[in-house]
Amino acid sequence: MSNVSPASTLTRWQRLDEHDAPMRPLDLGLIRRLYEFTRPYAAKRNWLLLCVIVRSLQLPCLTWAIAAIIKGPISRGDSQGLMLGVAGFAALAISTQTVLHFRQRFALELGELVVHDLRNAIFAHLQRLPMAFFHKTKLGRIISRMTSDIENVRIGVQEVLFVSLVQLGQMAVAATFMLWYDPILFGMVLLLAPVLWGINRYFHRILSQAHRDVQESFSRVTATLAESVNGIRVTQGFVRQERNAEMFTELVADHATYNYTVNRTQGMFLPLLDLNSEVFLASLLLVGGYRVLTPEVGASIGDLVGFFFMANLFFTPIANLGTQYNQALTAMAGAERVFRLLDTEPAWSDPPDAIELPPIAGRVQFRRLTFGYEEGRPVLSEISFTAPPGESIALVGHTGSGKSSIINLVAKFYIPWSGDLLIDGIDIRQIRTDSLHRQIGIVLQQNFLFSGTVMDNIRLGKPDATDEEVIEAARRLDCLDLLMKLPDGLQTLVGERGGSLSLGQRQLVCFARAMLADPRILILDEATSSIDPITEARVQRALFRLLEGRTSFVVAHRLSTIRHADQVLVLDHGKIVERGTHDELIARDGTYAELYRNFSQASAA
Amino acid sequence: MCSGARLVDSPGTASLSDSRHSASARLVTNPSVSNAALIGRMLGLGWRYRARCLLVIAQQMLRVVLQLAGLGMIGLGIDVLRSYVDPTATAPNWPLGIHPPASWSPLAVTATIAAGIALFSLAHAFVRFLAEVSKARLVERIVVDLRSRVYARLQRLSFRFFDANETGSLINRVSGDVQAVRMFVDGVMVQVTVVCLSLAVYLAYMLQIHAGLTLACLATTPLLWISAVVFSRMVRPEYMHNRTLVDKMILTLSENIQGVSVVKGFAREPEEIAKFRAATSDVRTQKHKIFWRLSVFQPGMAFLTNINLIVLLGYGGSLIIAGELRLGEGLFVFAGLLQQFASQVDQIVNITNRVQTSLTGAQRVFEVLDAPIEIQSAPDAIRLPRARGAVSFEDVSFAYRDDVPVLLNVSFSVEPGMCVALVGETGAGKTSLVNLIPRLYEVTAGAIKVDGIDIRRLHLDDLRRNVGVVFQESFLFSNTVAANIAFGHPDATREEIERAAQIACADRFIRDLPKGYDTVIGEYGANLSGGQRQRLAIARAVLLSPPILILDDATAAIDPQTEFEILQAMDAAMRGRTTFVIAHRLSTLRRANLIIVLDQGRVVQVGTHAELMADEGHYLQAAGLQQHAVHPGMSPPTARRISA
Repeated sequence: MSNVSPASTLTRWQRLDEHDAPMRPLDLGLIRRLYEFTRPYAAKRNWLLLCVIVRSLQLPCLTWAIAAIIKGPISRGDSQGLMLGVAGFAALAISTQTVLHFRQRFALELGELVVHDLRNAIFAHLQRLPMAFFHKTKLGRIISRMTSDIENVRIGVQEVLFVSLVQLGQMAVAATFMLWYDPILFGMVLLLAPVLWGINRYFHRILSQAHRDVQESFSRVTATLAESVNGIRVTQGFVRQERNAEMFTELVADHATYNYTVNRTQGMFLPLLDLNSEVFLASLLLVGGYRVLTPEVGASIGDLVGFFFMANLFFTPIANLGTQYNQALTAMAGAERVFRLLDTEPAWSDPPDAIELPPIAGRVQFRRLTFGYEEGRPVLSEISFTAPPGESIALVGHTGSGKSSIINLVAKFYIPWSGDLLIDGIDIRQIRTDSLHRQIGIVLQQNFLFSGTVMDNIRLGKPDATDEEVIEAARRLDCLDLLMKLPDGLQTLVGERGGSLSLGQRQLVCFARAMLADPRILILDEATSSIDPITEARVQRALFRLLEGRTSFVVAHRLSTIRHADQVLVLDHGKIVERGTHDELIARDGTYAELYRNFSQASAA
Repeated sequence: MCSGARLVDSPGTASLSDSRHSASARLVTNPSVSNAALIGRMLGLGWRYRARCLLVIAQQMLRVVLQLAGLGMIGLGIDVLRSYVDPTATAPNWPLGIHPPASWSPLAVTATIAAGIALFSLAHAFVRFLAEVSKARLVERIVVDLRSRVYARLQRLSFRFFDANETGSLINRVSGDVQAVRMFVDGVMVQVTVVCLSLAVYLAYMLQIHAGLTLACLATTPLLWISAVVFSRMVRPEYMHNRTLVDKMILTLSENIQGVSVVKGFAREPEEIAKFRAATSDVRTQKHKIFWRLSVFQPGMAFLTNINLIVLLGYGGSLIIAGELRLGEGLFVFAGLLQQFASQVDQIVNITNRVQTSLTGAQRVFEVLDAPIEIQSAPDAIRLPRARGAVSFEDVSFAYRDDVPVLLNVSFSVEPGMCVALVGETGAGKTSLVNLIPRLYEVTAGAIKVDGIDIRRLHLDDLRRNVGVVFQESFLFSNTVAANIAFGHPDATREEIERAAQIACADRFIRDLPKGYDTVIGEYGANLSGGQRQRLAIARAVLLSPPILILDDATAAIDPQTEFEILQAMDAAMRGRTTFVIAHRLSTLRRANLIIVLDQGRVVQVGTHAELMADEGHYLQAAGLQQHAVHPGMSPPTARRISA
């Protein structure tokens, strides 16, 4: 598929990330760290280990009991002994299954508890990470840490560890039994074991590559599918249906061949494993038969049958262990990624002696401040200006000129590279971030709402606010009537990401949220989507009320907002190129005047 | 709030599609479709692949027989050895009455049997491999066929269909649900046949060894089966409940991250941590319930299997003592058979679960395959390679839902090369009107004519190739810039692509991209701004050089410079074509040859800008030219963005 010209495919597919390797060698450090997570549940864990030991004895005992019954009472023709033996077997079976209940339940519960703690640890850690982390990390990546990676760790804890232990124990006990029955026959078993293990590893290696191919080709299929559905209007508008259908058939066929490879390999692997143990049974019959038939050796037929059973007990775990081993490698990869996330050091954090911000007047001062997101690429250079308490500052400039960076810095989402940012004369680096945030209100372009009611979303600005306070905040914005008009008033559910409210309504909720917090400093990134004229007027009015009496920083997209500002800062390539009021800047006939002319031309020429 | 939730014109946005759900276009999984009908249809599907299915069944059965033969040989071996060592033991039962010559030494006989076992094992492994391969081929064939069919169908369904159905659900129908249908063929039809046949074979073999022992050992089988079915019924709702709890937890996480600036800005981290903790605890508590059931059920099942062994040892042992059963061909083979039998019974539980999954999947797949293609060319459609560009609406009415008319009796006509601007408030019907021209939706009444021919009589592909559309949301595919511009004409040369980009004022910014025209859109670091995307969408339409062009302008405000550039792009694109533009900008309105003012689906005014300005009608208000009344202290029109 890779050689097809780009014009005839629908999407350009990108390789899976190198960091997302599906497997990773066993790593003692990781295992020890996971083990640490079981510490709070040490009692459960220790009981579980006990169950594991008991079970790895019980399983061979069950088999041994069968062999013993055949060899003893049945061979001897002792009916009474037979009944006793069977009763003993039944008792053993009951005890084995009882232990299985605890073994299984404790392992499942322990795994879930570890996962639960890991998830909470990750979430709490994420809350500590600064904005820069979220700027460069995709949401999907974080979610897959929390879902598929943790899921692999869970399987590692719940199954791999304890199942492998039981199986290894079972093999060891079975080996001991066989050695005791007949050391020579056991020698044959030992010869075969490495062959089986070799086949296992060989096929698992091939299969894991094949699975990776399948996964990659499937992600191509789904990506294309998603775009096909989302872009259906374009497809039909441009009459591309036939071409897309042909191309998709090719893609699906391509995916199917990878699937076929996996199935064929598996179809070869499993029979081959079984073939080995069957061939072994044949040779066992031959060698064992020779030993039974040769009077000098005098092996008993009962021992031979017992040996058949034990050999089986010895072989079954090998195939199983192969799968478990693979699962363990997957769990390692998952654990590694989870811990890598947990170990991500915040790029910066408050110094230990950071101070609680006292109630402020709201003076904000930038002093020769330089800042950027990537090293060596400053976005703001040597910015200096002062916002006196209560003044409204409009930030104007092209996309990428540094407007958003200024508000990100005032919000302490990022810290400056050099120069100072002072809030009421205190260096922002010395202020405890949470105490700063309690005196700053933020309304950003996306107008993000959490699923819940309108009331919940407004209350986010001040969690202990009463219903009356929430209503009062909306009233002070003069938008209470608009919010009450919603189907269930303030109790209306906003839907995922606020989807069931209109853009204007979402903006008003965000304004009310900031109003309720009643901050001294307000940061506002004006939404760019325009709303119908009447709602727009209400939003503007609410905005002016919100700004009243606060120091505010507004990334402005509407001329009315710019005109309203006490000070306009015109930014270009990270520098303030002009400052003053709207009228002053128009009079100056510089960059701002040109921006303004283009804008006016666009709306009115 | 004047317009409630209906603020966006784009037909793709969720807020509007709610109001456009139409009973006929939305796929509502209808519980009344009988399972029998679905199963019948899936059987029909399987019948198409009958040869491949039969091959799989035949190979599987051969495999079962070879396996049994191998097992029998081992039993025989044990009995032969036993008879040599202990002459009083029951003599071995040679299959098919083939005795080894009496002259053979015991060792030679044993060696022959061992060779036989090895041979059967080899044959068994080989046939098993063949069966797996045939099954993989069958699966591959069905999946490719079905996926292609569903996808091809999806490509042709009308916009109404896509308005009414969620993307996620449609994607699942092609990826997951198709697998569920396929499973009915290989996992149910084929598997049921194989399981039934092999159970019959096992049963016959066991009965032939000893009828009483067979019945005694299989006594627990129904119990095994019933409890497995009951258990899976019992835990399935629990697992589903668990999935919703996990979804809730993930939603908390994703909202926390998407709203990270709000969380941090309002210092809400502690509350968020508590919220997430509550969500994970819910998951854990509910999981523990499932674990309890699981760890009662599985040991219970294991014990039932143990009971079989107990019966076999007790009853079978006494039969051996009584000389009625052989050790090898009797007890040993029986133990092996019981194991095989139990695993086939397990299969039955899996199969019943699969039937359920397949039924749900089949319903969802067939719904797509059966969805009517509402808009297509008539059989005797008229070909129209290149239109002149005359468009007329004759008494056109249109509705997404029967009871809510969107356009009512709209009539007007446009000469080739004219520029028509549509003006009106949100929800007035502007986007709906332009969508009717390339027949993206079908008129409810009246007729639209292109070059004097009713568009319903034109060949659909020809019609759409004659109409270039710049959609409001400027959807681009994650492909190179060049491939996106050439979307409607994949064989376009690089020169043609660049020329289109130049007309759309996009050439300059494209050349500034990391890899120019070969930059992949959406790749990290190459995300385009709204204005850039819109210009690419214009270039895409211009490349086809259509005689009729539709520009549904996005309402999103971009920074003034970009806005200016888009305007230039639009101007260039309109030259020499009949253009319909949904205008928000005064400059466009001034330039239009004809302005149509819509209000609640009706044409309320028609004329040029100058004429309409003189008229005290809707135009002034709809175009937002009187807004200054709301905004004291602002000087219109320069201070206002005109948003219609």
